[in-house]
Parts: sequence; C-alpha cells; structure tokens
Amino acid sequence: MHTFSDLELDALTEAFNLSLGEAAATFSAIVHEEIELSVPAIEILSRDALTERLTRGRPDSGNDRLCRINQRFNAADGFQTDALLLFPEHGSLEIVRRMLGDDTPVQHITELEQDALAEIGNIIINSCMASLANLFGTEIIGSLPSVQSRSAATLLDDRDADSVILVARISMNMAAHNLSGFVLFIMDVPSITSFMAQIRRLFRLPGHDDPPPAP
Amino acid sequence: MTGFHSLLADCVDIGLILLNREGRICLWNRWIEQRSGLDAVRVAQLPLAEAFGAPIDPRLALVIRETLDFGWSARLSHALHPMPLPLFPPGSKQDERVKQAIDVIPVDVDGVRHCLLQIRDVTETVRREALLKQQARQLRSDLQRLSRAQVELQHSEMRFRELARQAPAGLFEADSHARCTFLNERCEQILGRSLPEVTDTPWLDLLPPGEQLRVRDSWRLAVASATRFAEEFIFIHPNDGSRRRMRAEAGPLRDELGRISGFIGTMVDVTEFHERATLNEFRANHDSLTALLNRDRFDRHLCAAITGAAESGERVAVLFIDLDDFKQINDTHGHQAGDAVLKTIASRLRRTLRNEDRVARYGGDEFAVLLNGAHDRRALDGVITKITRVVALPINLGHCHVRICCSIGLAIYPDHGRDPATLLTHSDKSMYSAKRRHNDPQR
Repeated sequence: MHTFSDLELDALTEAFNLSLGEAAATFSAIVHEEIELSVPAIEILSRDALTERLTRGRPDSGNDRLCRINQRFNAADGFQTDALLLFPEHGSLEIVRRMLGDDTPVQHITELEQDALAEIGNIIINSCMASLANLFGTEIIGSLPSVQSRSAATLLDDRDADSVILVARISMNMAAHNLSGFVLFIMDVPSITSFMAQIRRLFRLPGHDDPPPAP
Repeated sequence: MTGFHSLLADCVDIGLILLNREGRICLWNRWIEQRSGLDAVRVAQLPLAEAFGAPIDPRLALVIRETLDFGWSARLSHALHPMPLPLFPPGSKQDERVKQAIDVIPVDVDGVRHCLLQIRDVTETVRREALLKQQARQLRSDLQRLSRAQVELQHSEMRFRELARQAPAGLFEADSHARCTFLNERCEQILGRSLPEVTDTPWLDLLPPGEQLRVRDSWRLAVASATRFAEEFIFIHPNDGSRRRMRAEAGPLRDELGRISGFIGTMVDVTEFHERATLNEFRANHDSLTALLNRDRFDRHLCAAITGAAESGERVAVLFIDLDDFKQINDTHGHQAGDAVLKTIASRLRRTLRNEDRVARYGGDEFAVLLNGAHDRRALDGVITKITRVVALPINLGHCHVRICCSIGLAIYPDHGRDPATLLTHSDKSMYSAKRRHNDPQR
C-alpha cells in the first residue's frame, strides 16, 4: 500500500483547501447564500478499507444510501483517475432542496434535483482536480458528471479490490445544515505510482529524482 | 465543419453549439436555429454573447472559458441556472424562455480543443416535477389532516371507552338482528355473560321464553320504524338463577347510506327499583303494624263498592269492629303486648273473611270490613258471630294469655245509607249500641 508522508499530506491538504475555497465561492454566487467547505482530511486507502470505513459503526448502513457523483479524468502525462464525490442521499437531498428553496416531501430524488446534485459535485470535483493540475503543472481533461445512488456496502463494487484510493474528507455547511462527504480519487497501480512521483518531485521530497536544493 | 457533421448535428433533438479555441461559433445546429430565431450562417464566427445580442449567463461564460483553457467538463443544471440562454419554443412569441440544462465539454477537432455546448429542453420535465411536487404537497396536507382526525378519533374512542367502563348502567350495541357488537363491563355483569359468549346470539334469546315473543315484537317494530326501543322484561340471571327485572332502551344507528345498522343503548337492572316502588305503594295503602288496608284505602274501596252496587243493584255491608277494653291490655301488659294483640286480631279477621272482602285497621283498636254481595241478612249475622268468636279466642303474649271481646256495628247499602259517610256513621252508632249491650247485658 502506498502511503503519504506527513509532509506530502500537508502539501496536498493545503492545495485542496485553496481550491475548495474557490468551489465554495462559486456555490455562494449561484445560490446567494453563505456556503462553507471544510479543510479536507487526506489519506490513502484500499477499496475494502474505504467500504469498511463507510459502513463502520452503522449497522443499518447497508440500507442507508449514498449519492455518488462520478467524473473521469485523464492527465496529459499518463495518469488516469476517477473522481468520486460521496454524500448521504438524505442529507444531499436536503441541501439541494434547501438551495432550490423547496421543501416538498418527495421521498426520492427527482430528475432535476439529480441534475443539480451533478452540478454541485461537478463544481467540487473540478476545483479539487484544478488544484492537482496546478500542482503538477499539467493539463487534466475531465468528463461530465454522472450521478448514482447506492448503499454504502455496494458503492465501490464496480472497482477492483486492489484499487488505491486517495480520500479527501470534506464537509459542507449551509444555513444550519451540515453535510459530510468524501472526495475520492480512484487510480490503478501505474497511475498511483505516477501520481506519487509527481508529488515527490513537486515538493522535492526524499525519493524524487532531482537533487535536493542547496542549503 | 464538414457537411456531414452539420447534417448529423441538424438531426438530433438537442441544441448543439461548437465554439472554437477563441470562443467563436463554428457549429449552430437546426435545434438552436429554431429556438433562437438566428440563422447558423448569420452567427458563424461570432462570440456567443454577440450572436445572441445579449449578455449570457456569467457562469456559462466562466465554464466555457475553463473548458477551452483547462479541458474541464461542466454541467449547468436547470435548478441552479433555469434559463441561461435566450432560447424560445419554436413558433412562440418569444415571451418565455425554454427551460434549459446545459452540458459543456471539451472536444478535439483536428488536434485543437473546442468547446461543445449541449443544450437540453427540460420544460416538460420541469412541468412534470412541479405537478409531482404539488401532488406530494397535497398528499402531505391530506395525510396531516387524516392523522389529526385519527388522533381526535383515538381520543374520542378513549373517552367513550373510559365513560363506558365507569358507567353505572349497562351499555350495549347490537346489529339489527339484536346480535351484540359491544357490551361494557356493567352490561356483561347484568347479563352474566361476556361479549364473545353472546356475539353470535341475539340478546333477545337470553330472555325467558315467556318474555321473548313480546320483546322481540317490540325490537322488530323499532327496527322497521327506525324508532327508539324501550322495554321492561324479566330476566333469569345465569349465575345465580335470580329473577331480575330489566329495562332496555336503545336508539337506532345508521350506516353511511342512512340504513338502520343497529342500536346502541342502555340495559338497567330495575329489580330493586320495582321492589321499592311496590313496597312504597303497599305502605301508602296499608297499616304498617297489621298490614291490613289503612283507613284511606278502605274509604276508597267503599266508594268504589257503592258506585258498583248502585249500578248493579247489589247490596254492600260495612262492619265496624271495636275491641272492648283494649286500653286495659295496654296498661297492664304494655304497648308491645297491645301491638301483638292488634296483629293477632288482624290476622284472625283476614283468615275468617273471604279474599274479596276488604279488611282495614280503621283507628287505634277499630277495624272495618267491607262485604260485597250482602243479600242475605242471616249470612251477615253468621259472619258477625264468626268474627266475635274468632276475636274472643285466647291470645298468647308469651308470658300469659289474654282474651278480648269486640263490639260490631253493621250498616247496609242502600238500607242504612247511600254514601260512605252515612254508612260509616250508621255502623259506628250500631257498634256503640252493641258495646253498650256488652257492658250492660240487662239492656
């Protein structure tokens, strides 16, 4: 399992934090309301460890559905990643309806609400990806978002068991509503290797090919 | 764009706008032409805002720039951006924009990044969802009203149950065939049966056979005429076999079509009430010591007898009986002994006379007797002799025997008078004459 050193984690957290601030500003402009996105907590997990994390401590979590907003990204220098944003279905519905100023009690998400949720995910994921692109100084082409609703236990069933997942936990606050979610970057092994190399090079961390800077 | 690509773009039911690296229009399909009123040739190579002749949604402008510069894709949902472009339904008066959702994606055209806008018309979806939400709101409000009604119903049911539980009267509900559907605890006690035991049986079947016919007729009449049912009947309690008198009263219940669906009412055990009423009536008409008729009642009987006799030509006799020296017994043996004497005499008189003859305690130690059909004077004399003898028999006071004689006066309707007062006066006088004879046998 690949891991990040504390220095790498700090660097990534700082980069994500800057771009999430941009995302929050974009939301606030759209809905004319203060929206806060928290400082993300970053870690690397395997698929099964993440599934266990999502279902842990919630015996009924098998029935507690999550909304998954998915975008695929291709970087110019070879690594590919799926970027996923996960929110509890109930909470995300509440936030979307709050943004739309509509408290109608329809139990399931409607087509238009699903579209709005896709746009919210799109803004958050694009902003996170922008920070990576900025860090790496490369171009990362992104697809349109797609929305699915699944139970936490089966959420990542379409991924390989050995997938490595970069997890950024964020939470979104809006007018007394607090919604916690995850931004996931799911990469295959060559991609994560390339990704880690980029990070080390970028922060001139031990293990990268360039000589250390002169004192 | 090649002719083939343009042809293809014109065939799809979605708006397509392709912008080149500089943000200038290089594809404008027929769908857009129809909704913008702008010809593709006219807008070719114009920036978007210039083509529409109006500023476009700022967020759309931003994401177009991000797509062209960084290769990102973006979705502009209708919910957050209802109508970003000035597009109108084909053939309309351009007063209301088409409701839109726009996807913005980077596309590679001959190695150069372009920006493709895909515009969907979601007007119908918006209308459908608005309808859905309106129905959902209606449902929620109906549901809230229903829940409130249900809570109210539960309260009123609870109140009824508690009232029924505490009610001193038996409460019952029965269908039109008199089969019970509800009994409160008191009613179960009165009938000596629980509801499950009588559910399939008309409660009328629980009555003694002699009562069933009458009460059933009355029940049928109430059902047929949708009126109140009220009956008193005898009921034999199954637990102790006691004979009870019941009163049932019930009002009709109607179903949603207004038909009689049953009756709800009360069942009261009126046995004690009746016993008390009978006792009160007895007390009003009888002397409490001897249980003979009292003076009042005797006078009324006498009036009635005179009236009857006047019509039928019958004769009526009144005897006035006074005990001789009764005061002496009281003085010698005490009042209790006096009472015992009076009770014994009353009982002897009752036994001596016929059932249809009336006997009353008329005063302290005075008795009166009314004899109907007194044609035969000899028979009357026989009665007087019998009374004299039976009164004179020794009376056991426990510690001793006493003897007492009586004086009897006689008056006959119509011979001695035609009204009660005259007859009574005559028999009184006649009694005193007899008493004087007793006291002075020489006379």
